[in-house]
Amino acid sequence: MSILETIKECVINGKMKEIQEPITKAKEEGYSAKDILNEGLIAGMEVIGKEWEKGEVFVPEVLIAARALNKGLDLIEDDLVASGVEYKGTVVIGTVKGDLHDIGKNLVALMLKGAGFKVIDIGVDCKAETFIETALKEEADVIAMSSLLTTTMMYMQTVIDELKEKGLRDKFKVICGGAPVTDEFVKKVGGDFYTSDAVKAVDLLKQVL
Amino acid sequence: MGKELLFKSLRHEKTERAPWVPFAGVHAGKLLGYNATEVLTDKDKLFESLMEVNKFYQPDGQPVLFDLQVEAEILGCDLKWDEISPPTVSSHPLQTEKRIPCDCKIPTKEDGRLPIILEVMKRMKKEVGDHTALYGLITGPFTLASHLRGTEIFMDMFDDEEYVKQLLEFCVKVGKAMTDYYIEAGMDVISFVDPLVSQISPRHFKSFLSTPYQTLFDYCREKGVFSSFFVCGDATKNIEVMCQTKPDCISIDENIDIVEAKKITDLYDVTIGGNIQLTITMLHGNQQDNMKAVLDIIEGCQTTKNLIISPGCDMPYDCPPENVIAVGQAVRDYEKTKKALENYQAQDLSEIEIELPDYNSLDKPLVEVFTLDSTTCAACGYMMNVCNEVYNENKGVFDLKEYRFTIKENIARCMKLGVKHLPSLYINGKLKWSSIIPNKKELFDEIKKYK
Repeated sequence: MSILETIKECVINGKMKEIQEPITKAKEEGYSAKDILNEGLIAGMEVIGKEWEKGEVFVPEVLIAARALNKGLDLIEDDLVASGVEYKGTVVIGTVKGDLHDIGKNLVALMLKGAGFKVIDIGVDCKAETFIETALKEEADVIAMSSLLTTTMMYMQTVIDELKEKGLRDKFKVICGGAPVTDEFVKKVGGDFYTSDAVKAVDLLKQVL
Repeated sequence: MGKELLFKSLRHEKTERAPWVPFAGVHAGKLLGYNATEVLTDKDKLFESLMEVNKFYQPDGQPVLFDLQVEAEILGCDLKWDEISPPTVSSHPLQTEKRIPCDCKIPTKEDGRLPIILEVMKRMKKEVGDHTALYGLITGPFTLASHLRGTEIFMDMFDDEEYVKQLLEFCVKVGKAMTDYYIEAGMDVISFVDPLVSQISPRHFKSFLSTPYQTLFDYCREKGVFSSFFVCGDATKNIEVMCQTKPDCISIDENIDIVEAKKITDLYDVTIGGNIQLTITMLHGNQQDNMKAVLDIIEGCQTTKNLIISPGCDMPYDCPPENVIAVGQAVRDYEKTKKALENYQAQDLSEIEIELPDYNSLDKPLVEVFTLDSTTCAACGYMMNVCNEVYNENKGVFDLKEYRFTIKENIARCMKLGVKHLPSLYINGKLKWSSIIPNKKELFDEIKKYK
């Protein structure tokens, strides 16, 4: 097994502690940070993504894979910055005001990060101004909103209306997700896209950005 | 009696129809204008709301309180309250401190909101317990563990299996204590509600949850009450391992294909409950959508044995009451509803000639009541009763007519007049009440305006 394969396996199996050794070795063998990122870390997360889509892995498996990936990213971050690797896009993500659920939102954030996006996670119970101010500050391409309650999903419209009022609606793609949210609903409130899970969110943003 | 029907279903016997269990949690408050926080914290408001649910929705079984934060609150989680949703846990006491709570923390009957809940359970038992089966809902051990530990619990499942098992053992002790209290307060069915089960693999379920759940369901059997396992989210892959823990019933939400799931639950002779869509159908759909949802479930399952009709989960607060009424009607009278829906969807309704009265030149006020069927739909029956009583007390003052939706011509009439919800009460062609039942004085005062 090549050293990049080993890194990939560490991500797939969520081996956070063990990932340091092959990454150090890969660097010694002359692999660039970009190789380690794309052929090791992201490749591993892609396997998890496909398995998730098929219902073969569940939340705990994805979370530990993402944890290993994040550890790997920390180890190559300086080299990545130095080599000028560009993000696929910048996403501001949060759960809307009144809603404290974060498992789904975290999964989307982790998957996007794992796929090479810059992700700014603004947490839960987020007001419209937090979404908008952060998106402006970070020069984001996408605002991603999550809601798990039928009572809070309407707040997505508040955020979108506020974007329209400020003349910023066309500046960002708006994607929405969460258990009660549907494609029909997102269209009704004026969002751009609905995604039913984290993997589809990644695929979608790869296509539209 | 509805309760007996539900018991038969939970004993896996053949039933003449599927039992109906509306999960009216915070939605119960909407019927009387109380918000979610009021209905979950005020014993009188909770009791009145539950009585209203019992009266209007005619359930065969009904939960007393649908709030998965009761135990968590007692065990030190902070809650964020809301006006139209149950509270949400906002802090996890074990998030940064990995320990097992002392057994001395197991809730007593005096802790948190339990005194209120237990009192309302007893009052409900006294008032409706002879004809309605009452459900005591308890937070499932995995969801309770996650309330205490936060999402770290998912990492713990890989990093420290032993810790997770010990924490779940504690949560089982909490579940057993709650079971004791709820049985003592008269609950007929003990339900463990564990939405997080949908987020883990069957392998993890077996490692961590099979034993806790077997313990809890054995405990219910030992105590002589029925047990139920509520799960939310797409738990399709876990249905079989859930059956293996031997609950009497599994209740599923809209993410699961109930027809496929029932094939599995039938193998284990476990009753299945579900799974009308909460948002699309119950909250945003109309009465016909809701009736169709019931018919689809029953037709898909091809039998009402081992089948309970209920919403996918706790109904949204703002769910229109007429939609819930429509579900109940379809469950109680499958054949008539089927016929009515066929007529409603038929193309030739427009060919039925309906002549509406000339409302502007009537001799006396005309009260028209549009019902699903006042003999089987409780709300429709109450609306008709009020009208009949006022009519009999004021003979000759106004005319009264009932139009039942089960008759083709009446469907055409509803369409022509633009009747959206049933039951609805019109005076001289003008909508006055929809789903809400006026009292006799309110009704007569309104009629007098048209004299």
